Amino acid sequence: MNSDEYNGIIADPAFFAGISRLVVTSDSIDEVLQTILEHSVRVCGAVRGFLAIVDHDRGELDVRYTAGEGWSEEKRLDRLKVSEETGRGITSHVAATGKLYNAECVDNDPYYIKSFDDVRSELAVPLIDSHKRTRGVLNVESSKLSAFGADEERLASALADFAAIALKISRHRQREKALVQIGKELHGFTDSQVILQKVLDVAAEALKFEDCSLFLIDRATDKLVLRASRGALKTRIGQASYDIGEGLTGWTAKQAAAVRVSDPSSDPRWAGRFQELPTKDVGAYMAVPIQGRSGLIGVLRVQRKKSPYKWFPNDFTDDDERILTTIAGQLAVALDNVRLMDQLVKTERLAAWGEMSARSAHMIGNRVFAIKGDVNELEYMIQSNSLGEGEARKLTESIKNGIFLLEEILNEFREFVKATQLDLEEVDLNEMVREAVEEGFPKRSQTRLNLKLAEKLPRICADPKKLKRCFCELMENSVNFQPDGGEISVTTSIADARSKKWLKPGQQAGRYVQVRFEDNGPGIRQENKPKIFNPFFTSRAKGMGLGLSIVKGIIDAHEGTIFESGTPGKGAKFTILLPYEESVCKSDRKRK
Amino acid sequence: MCRILVIDDEEAVRNAVKRRLERDGYKVDTAETQAAGIEAIQTKRPPYDVVVTDMVMESPTSGLEVLQAALSSDIFTELIVLTAYGNVANAVECMKRGAFDYVEKNIPGVDVFELLSMKLQQALERRKASLVTLRRIEQYTKGK
Repeated sequence: MNSDEYNGIIADPAFFAGISRLVVTSDSIDEVLQTILEHSVRVCGAVRGFLAIVDHDRGELDVRYTAGEGWSEEKRLDRLKVSEETGRGITSHVAATGKLYNAECVDNDPYYIKSFDDVRSELAVPLIDSHKRTRGVLNVESSKLSAFGADEERLASALADFAAIALKISRHRQREKALVQIGKELHGFTDSQVILQKVLDVAAEALKFEDCSLFLIDRATDKLVLRASRGALKTRIGQASYDIGEGLTGWTAKQAAAVRVSDPSSDPRWAGRFQELPTKDVGAYMAVPIQGRSGLIGVLRVQRKKSPYKWFPNDFTDDDERILTTIAGQLAVALDNVRLMDQLVKTERLAAWGEMSARSAHMIGNRVFAIKGDVNELEYMIQSNSLGEGEARKLTESIKNGIFLLEEILNEFREFVKATQLDLEEVDLNEMVREAVEEGFPKRSQTRLNLKLAEKLPRICADPKKLKRCFCELMENSVNFQPDGGEISVTTSIADARSKKWLKPGQQAGRYVQVRFEDNGPGIRQENKPKIFNPFFTSRAKGMGLGLSIVKGIIDAHEGTIFESGTPGKGAKFTILLPYEESVCKSDRKRK
Repeated sequence: MCRILVIDDEEAVRNAVKRRLERDGYKVDTAETQAAGIEAIQTKRPPYDVVVTDMVMESPTSGLEVLQAALSSDIFTELIVLTAYGNVANAVECMKRGAFDYVEKNIPGVDVFELLSMKLQQALERRKASLVTLRRIEQYTKGK
């Protein structure tokens, strides 16, 4: 470039204004860096140039952007080893030292490696970020000797800074996206290992935490227990645990403060018991406490490998700590919500239990009172020699009925209690529905049966006996409520959005199969709809009226849902949704 | 003949009590709700001598409401409250307000029907004594 042209650029505010505008407005980091490189080649009067980005994990430079003459596909794909030694390339040297290098005559240069025949001089400037780390190298070449002077050096440095700013913005955008995604994952979070794991994956990938583990405090043992991990610890979820205060992780919990160390194994607090990486490879360690509403919930920790390249320190920065603390905050809110939900469910169940005990005591008491009355009468008649055969038969019959009623109450009570204790196995839902229908549908009936089972229904994880009990109960209800014929439809299918809106918000994203029992009996009166699943709600004089509440208990325990959506007067329509996932049949599935 | 009203929402309970009391020679009416019981107390004449009522029917204090109705209909009507085993607080409250006694429906090892029969007899005696006293007072005040 002649000096007029150069001065022209300096004098032309539009040049830098254009570049800074691009950096600020463009969504594409590739577009920005390519443009900056092309400008660099032009304003420095170079024949060609390239921009290489540092790969910190591998200690390599990735030639990602090229401009000017003579580039072949092979040269474009070149990767350069970072090195400060002589004879390893000027770009490598600049990446390692983080300092500008101007080779006025490449023939005599100790670092230069020949790559193009026409090169006489070369200028390389590093892209340095706010933590003084080299992010990349901007390189321009000329076929003239001493082509680049102090002005070109300054110009190239300024352009390299723009490139560094663009990289920083891009990284911030990436982090923002990751945080938003984590927020989304945690929204409506109920209690799924899968989601916890996903959050860690997003955090680790987008935020360049190589390994990431989540420890939560177990209230029973007061230990930090591993709940999710990305690294080698994945196989020890639920087993690996630290005492509060033990190791760096335990220290974080005890002090409820973040820890950030660059050489953790030399830290006196280091215990090194459960590592995602071999101890010798751990380069940087950071852990933040997860603070819930009522104190500490757990610890979120991340590690980075030791960098084999001394010019690329792998420490965590203030930015990294802020991000991790933000994620920990989001996790805390989500986990707090889960805990509140759990408590609510427990409280509800406890209330149901109280009601249940009072009601059954009352019912049993009255039955026993009536039986005692019969026995009293029987005794009196025997004593007064007035017991005729007819009287005796009537009284024993009444006693027997009373005892049967007691046994029915006892049975329902037992089923209500056991509804939530599941014995899970993989089952074919269609098969079970078929069996239940065969058992529950009377052989000689005026009612027509319409059985529609979906083909290729995914297998689910369920307690077959309990589920069959549900289907039989619904079948029996349908049959009993339309004694004079009509039609009962039983269908299985994959649940669609219309059914899924009946699920709790946190469950709606899951995959569900559905079973529907439809009849054209009297249906359920609008005012009774909210009550039909309550214990003791009954329109039949049998047992305690626990039937549908037992069904609901069983379905809830399967993490599914049941609802009634028939039209009063036209028939009842009961639908059961049950989740299916590959991961549901784990033996450690909670029994609530 | 003495007239008794039995109020309980369980048919089996009503029938058993009625049968046992009829054996003792009483005339027994039954009512299956608090409201029906109160209506019978207010309309049937002469007033019932003794009312036997379940404590908990429509509400946990059904017994108290029946007591109030009975006493305002005839101040000397005796009331026996039937109550669930171990749940006597409200029944005791009834006694404080003038009920004759309470009988727990399910006392282990006790034939409550005999107990009830006995209590009923005692209640009738108290009623009789009250009426005798009343008559004497009336005579005394007339004589003056």
